[in-house]
Amino acid sequence: MTQTMGLIAGVLLAMALFVYTFWPENVFAQQRQKTRLDYLLERKEQLHENLRDLNFEFKAGKYPEEDFQAQRAQLENETALLLGEIEVLQRV
Amino acid sequence: MAFFGSFALLIALALAAWNLLAGALALRWIATGQPAPISPERLADTARRAGIAGFWAVTAAAFALVWSVFTNDFSIAYIMEHSNRALPGAYKFSALWSGQEGSLLLWAWLLGAYGFVLRLTHQRDVKLYAYAGAILAGIQVFFLLVLNFAAPPFALLKGAIPEDGNGLNPLLQYPEMVIHPPMLYLGYVGFSVPFAFALGALMMRYPGEKWIRITRVWTMVTWLFLTIGVFLGMHWAYAVLGWGGYWSWDPVEIASLMPWLTGTAFLHSVMMQEKKGMMKSWNVWLIFITFLLTMLGTTLTRGGLVSSVHAFAESSIGYWFLAFMVLVLAVCLFTYILQYSHLKSERRVESLVSRESAFLFNNLVLIAACFVIMWGALFPVLSEFFVGNKVTFDAAWYNRVAVPIGLFLVMLAGVGPLLPWRATSLKSIRRNFVLPVIALWATVVVCLAVGVRPWHDGAFDQGHFYALVAFALSAGVITAICSEFLRGARVIAKQSGRNYLAAMVLLVRRNTRRYGGYTVHIGVVVAVIGLAGAAFNRSAEQEMALHDKLVIGPYTLEYLGPTEDSNPNFDSEYAQLMVYKAGRYPFLMTPGKRIYLASRQPQTMVAIHSVVAWDLYLVYEGTNPDTGQPIIKAFLNPLVSWIWAGMLLMALGTLIALIPKQWSVVSEQSALPSVAEGFER
Repeated sequence: MTQTMGLIAGVLLAMALFVYTFWPENVFAQQRQKTRLDYLLERKEQLHENLRDLNFEFKAGKYPEEDFQAQRAQLENETALLLGEIEVLQRV
Repeated sequence: MAFFGSFALLIALALAAWNLLAGALALRWIATGQPAPISPERLADTARRAGIAGFWAVTAAAFALVWSVFTNDFSIAYIMEHSNRALPGAYKFSALWSGQEGSLLLWAWLLGAYGFVLRLTHQRDVKLYAYAGAILAGIQVFFLLVLNFAAPPFALLKGAIPEDGNGLNPLLQYPEMVIHPPMLYLGYVGFSVPFAFALGALMMRYPGEKWIRITRVWTMVTWLFLTIGVFLGMHWAYAVLGWGGYWSWDPVEIASLMPWLTGTAFLHSVMMQEKKGMMKSWNVWLIFITFLLTMLGTTLTRGGLVSSVHAFAESSIGYWFLAFMVLVLAVCLFTYILQYSHLKSERRVESLVSRESAFLFNNLVLIAACFVIMWGALFPVLSEFFVGNKVTFDAAWYNRVAVPIGLFLVMLAGVGPLLPWRATSLKSIRRNFVLPVIALWATVVVCLAVGVRPWHDGAFDQGHFYALVAFALSAGVITAICSEFLRGARVIAKQSGRNYLAAMVLLVRRNTRRYGGYTVHIGVVVAVIGLAGAAFNRSAEQEMALHDKLVIGPYTLEYLGPTEDSNPNFDSEYAQLMVYKAGRYPFLMTPGKRIYLASRQPQTMVAIHSVVAWDLYLVYEGTNPDTGQPIIKAFLNPLVSWIWAGMLLMALGTLIALIPKQWSVVSEQSALPSVAEGFER
């Protein structure tokens, strides 16, 4: 490839990429602002997963009964508080 | 092509600069709500498109370089220095990363490719991806500045154009060298993506931990590439360098290990943030440090600060990298201080004996390991700078420090999964640790019985002691992890009526991440068993006349004479050795030497016979000039194949962990409603 051919190929590449970059488009991907409710719903999902794991591990014999009950109570309390806040926000 | 390639790199730089500036401006306008002369969303979209277009521009430049190698365009200095006409096609392709300029171009191309995928999938979280895209563009601007102004791959040769090039470094003319550097680079460059997401999430005060879920795949894929890259590098060193080992604490090896250690720590601790909302600051700094370590590794080796078997010559790009690292650190520090309040943990570690604390210990040990070996790598540079005397640490120093740390990590790999979250009662410890502890001590007894003893001729043997500890810990950890699989499978088998094997498959599918992770742990343990085998390496060296015999372990080697071969790229000579195991089962091994015609450089060609228990490793050391007879060095290296098997298991585990969890939960829900739901109905 000669220098002239290289220059032509380079200019063509630059033009194609410039057109692609600045092509006028009216539809853009947009996103609404994430709210506290969105965050709490994500957290709820995570807490449910933690409870699922705890339950499964108990069934698998990893936890003694008393340890399981204590941990489950803690997680359920946390979930209850979260669900309460979600309910309030959903009413608003 | 040189002109086109240079032009494409300039276009790529302009596009990356636009991506960075327009992206940053648009995000600033969106964040502050300031009135803007044009729609910030439109501006942000042009930035995103510039990132995509930039990838094509870098691709064009990389294509121009590869084309120039294949068309033997020796007017380009890089091609003249790293290729020649007789070089086989696959190695011509690998010439792209065999020199400094080419490897920087590969880095920029991979960064562009990662960014290309990221920008195409931006609808998953438009704002977070826009931040990450702008940060990646900032990194790309740096690399393109270096490529355009400090290390241009298309620089033309001054003076007359030679008929042929100098050829590729003989050490790199090995099949693995075609895939090892791209794998390593995919790992190195890949950490830019989680770094960009973490910094972006911090800049925008991303609410919640969902960004971790978004970046998980990126982090795991990157970690997988880096793991494979590190192990392929070890295998290359083993099969090519001809000294009988695979790891010599070379600065380039250390450079790849440091981000692997912190990246591994990040993969573990990020689970704490996702599940428990803990260790937010720690995680942010872990990924910042991991990214900076990929840069430091490049500075150490590519910048010519330290010498290594595969580091490039001294150049000025080390200063570019140092300046960039200082800039990145300043940006990270500034953002961290500004957004510190956003990183408050939701809870603390409640007990020293819990899975949280196991993760924390794991992280502390990994970081300690990283900084110890970094100290070893930097000490020669620092001592030369401050005292004017280059002091280097030998492999024994690294082994003394790294082996105990590594063994502690192996122990944690087994202890962690057995500990419950939050706190552990004595009853729970007894329940979960009985079997692993029995396996551990049983292994100690068996090892002592078969002769693996921490003393040798009445004196303490540190290598054998560590090997004994490694075998015992490995047995304990494998038992612990297997018991996790079996217990889970038993629950599913009981509830679904399936057999154990089907239940095991279902178990893995319902929680791919956990059981994929456990498979990685088994892979690590298998690799550690292989590494521990080095304590029992044996070697023998002998000058051999025709039909002379050399005995090593169960093998007897008989010399059958020399043979020669020649092709346009190299001349070779081999020693033919008939190998008998216990006097039977003969097979032929042919260690040799090559002389590459373009560079006139010699290269040892090792012959390896690998079985589960050991490798028979033969090196042809040349001929005695007085007698004309070949000198053969034989090594018997126990358990080496376990290291490569461990890598395969680690790769398999990571692939399992990458399978989306939704799919597994859905599969399981249909079969096992009560287990899947988690709550007693």
